[in-house]
Amino acid sequence: MSAAAAARSRPGEPAFDSDRALLALLLAGVAVPLLVFVVWPLAEILKLSFDTPKGLGLGNYAVYFATPKFARVLVNSLEVAVCATLITTVLAYGFAYAMQRCLPRGRRVLGAIALLPLYAPSLLQALGILFLLGRNGAIARIFGVDIDIYGFTGIVVADVFYAFPHAYLILSAALAIGDARLYESAEMLGAGRARIFRTVTLPATRYGLMSAVFVVFTIVITDFGNPMVIGGDYSVLATEIYNQVSGQGNMAMGAVIGVVLLVPAAIAVFVERWVARHHHAALGDRSDPLRVVPSPARDRVALAYSALICGAIALIVLVVVVASFVTLWPYNLSMSLRHYHFEVQNGLAPLWTSIGVSLAAAVLGVVVVIVGAAVVRRLGPVLTQALYFLSVLPAAVPGMVLGLGYILAFNRPDNPLGFLYGSLAILVICNVYHYHAQGFLIATTAMSQVSRVFDEASTCLGGGLARTLRTVTLPLVAPALVSIGVFFFVRSMVTLSAVIFIVTPATQLAAVSVLLLDDSGNQNQAAAYSVCIMAVVAVALIALEATLALVRRRGGMRAPQLAAA
Amino acid sequence: MFLTLAGIRKRFGAVTALDGVSLAVDEGEFVCFLGPSGCGKTTLLRIIAGLETPDEATITLDGRDLMRVPARLRNFGIVFQSYSLFPNLTVARNIAYGLACRGWDADATRTRVEAMLDLVNLRDYAERRPHQLSGGQQQRVALARALAPQPRVLLLDEPLSALDAKVREDLRTEIKSLQSKLRVTTVMVTHDQHEAMELADRIVVMNRGAIEQVGPPRELYDRPANRFVADFLGRMNAWPDRDGRPVLGVRPEHVELVAAADAADGANGVIRGTIERVVFLGSVTRVVVRAGERPCIVELKGSRLDLAAGQPVALRAPGEALLRLEKPAA
Repeated sequence: MSAAAAARSRPGEPAFDSDRALLALLLAGVAVPLLVFVVWPLAEILKLSFDTPKGLGLGNYAVYFATPKFARVLVNSLEVAVCATLITTVLAYGFAYAMQRCLPRGRRVLGAIALLPLYAPSLLQALGILFLLGRNGAIARIFGVDIDIYGFTGIVVADVFYAFPHAYLILSAALAIGDARLYESAEMLGAGRARIFRTVTLPATRYGLMSAVFVVFTIVITDFGNPMVIGGDYSVLATEIYNQVSGQGNMAMGAVIGVVLLVPAAIAVFVERWVARHHHAALGDRSDPLRVVPSPARDRVALAYSALICGAIALIVLVVVVASFVTLWPYNLSMSLRHYHFEVQNGLAPLWTSIGVSLAAAVLGVVVVIVGAAVVRRLGPVLTQALYFLSVLPAAVPGMVLGLGYILAFNRPDNPLGFLYGSLAILVICNVYHYHAQGFLIATTAMSQVSRVFDEASTCLGGGLARTLRTVTLPLVAPALVSIGVFFFVRSMVTLSAVIFIVTPATQLAAVSVLLLDDSGNQNQAAAYSVCIMAVVAVALIALEATLALVRRRGGMRAPQLAAA
Repeated sequence: MFLTLAGIRKRFGAVTALDGVSLAVDEGEFVCFLGPSGCGKTTLLRIIAGLETPDEATITLDGRDLMRVPARLRNFGIVFQSYSLFPNLTVARNIAYGLACRGWDADATRTRVEAMLDLVNLRDYAERRPHQLSGGQQQRVALARALAPQPRVLLLDEPLSALDAKVREDLRTEIKSLQSKLRVTTVMVTHDQHEAMELADRIVVMNRGAIEQVGPPRELYDRPANRFVADFLGRMNAWPDRDGRPVLGVRPEHVELVAAADAADGANGVIRGTIERVVFLGSVTRVVVRAGERPCIVELKGSRLDLAAGQPVALRAPGEALLRLEKPAA
């Protein structure tokens, strides 16, 4: 790691400085695990996908694209992703507009309901839709009609709900900031509402819109849980990888499909990152904040629209909860707890395993991303770029691909880290690095709120990196640390895609149990298991809110204090 | 010399921030870097502090090469323009920060913190948080924090710029008396000529990454080396000489106003003109006179009700007040 020191050192500077040594050590501590737990598994997948009996080559890909079934899977994935992306973005833009630019009643509650899908296992949407619209769903039962929701339609609908909160959060942030001066001048010039929207609002939010499109596309194309439950015979890339690896033991084809999935996902992520950076630069700091004034007619439309969306989101969650507590949905609606006697491997034990793994991932995740963010703050520009790239790279790696990469990299005797395979530790590590990008971005954003003047003041007073972090920087970003911890906890509780390949009967996780229950036709028990997961997540979120409220009350650390410069 | 800077160069991309700056500062001296924004004065201060790495530089303190010492170990105190007190620590703990870095024990720290609080008259504020203090109080704590570990050099980066005019003046006086009491070598960056003239033993006038002139305030005012210095410190009326290149200048307060009627026609050194504007500024009245191509500014003591725009007047500048100005170095 002398590269770190060399890049910053100039002739005449001391050969050894304890602070610089610590920085190099921390850089190594952040970068080496990223290389081992993200880059290496990826490299293994790439290697295997090019590995043919005749040496390295494109043979596997030739087979892939020559097989009509596989080519079809790629087309399916793209079809689903494009459709769901368009629908989600349009719906979420309207919803975000209603939340940020209108004043409907119960705005806070509506905004909170829209986030529900974030806190449920990823196949919950599909499960809920089946309870409503499936062959044995409520609609089929009440009206006696036979709807075919399985396949393309079902996946798109489920993924729209699944990705909705992500799009909403991005668009909401974009719509929250607006330059009042632009709106005032447009109005003074006599522009009507439609024209103002077209000429001011839409252009000002175009980067947010692009960001949302790429984020939703990535989420949908990499989603595994929903297509597994509601896809029927309609296969997509993520489920096909699982099918090849777990069903047929065909690692090589799994790797090829993994790379085929990786390419569009990675492109979408890097375009999104580029857009997001551009977006920040485009924000003027001199603009007047926009103030939304009440407008009864507009606010009623906004309320009707957002209530409709929230109703649908809440209904899906609700129907899963209800189905878990009745004797046999939708035929016998008498209360029963029988679905909570789980007929699945190890019963409720996986839930406890999940809680333990998620707690460990929360602690490790916070340490890893906060050290990463602190190191990035102190590095020269070249190393910053490199570490930043490594840190957000995991966002481009679909969970299924990462999981398969872990099998390839760690499930072999010649790997000195092979002992990790099959342990709980590898599940913790997998979750931390699967969600590293998002955690890292929250951490760097929080750190960037802390003025660099504090670092410089500390340095001039004789404070080293460790003291500055301990005494000044970390206390100032403490609330963000709690948020990041809860983020890792929640993601680890609900995730399915990466861990599905590396759980063992002894290290079964809750979300995997849900999938297994559903797979064995036990939808009601799958619902009950999902409810248990959501209950744990709810407790974590309540704990987060309580902690943040406490910090706010005690601290006196108001935002303006953080951003001194 | 105590602190010496030689051949300091720094580029930010295509922009040259400092173009070979050299300077020597005596022990106990108060030096001000004065110049317009973007002249490189803050970059120079940050290089002295060790917060910025120069492309080329020799910096020594007491003969010791400072380029080999990281900012953390230079033992320089610094006060920034923006409030830089650690918001999560009390005033007392902010002041004790540098002492903790140097491993002072609890008793010595307490004594020192109390002494520093007394020094800046904030004894009752020890347990307050920074956000409970006014801007002026925060900068006084920042000063106490910087001085607590007995720094070799005190660096002030426009410490008064963020404050209201009245508070700024009070704190200016306080800084001056503190500095003369402690005799700590001080380097301050400012773009305010009055601040520099009141505080500095010597002013370093900077422009476009280079030093234009160095000297005591009085010398710079009375004998500015060039137009830039003359214009930056006070005002200067300037005329081209007959040869064209150098110019002649005279300070507004040295120009005498003579009633047009009294001026003998063609008398030596008398210029005729018309009053363009009369501005009453309290202690002085500024009169803009149009004489030939360029306006001439005249400053007269007190209020002058007898003068009004449109009035013909004659100006006279005593020969000893005339200055020969070179072109700026940069």
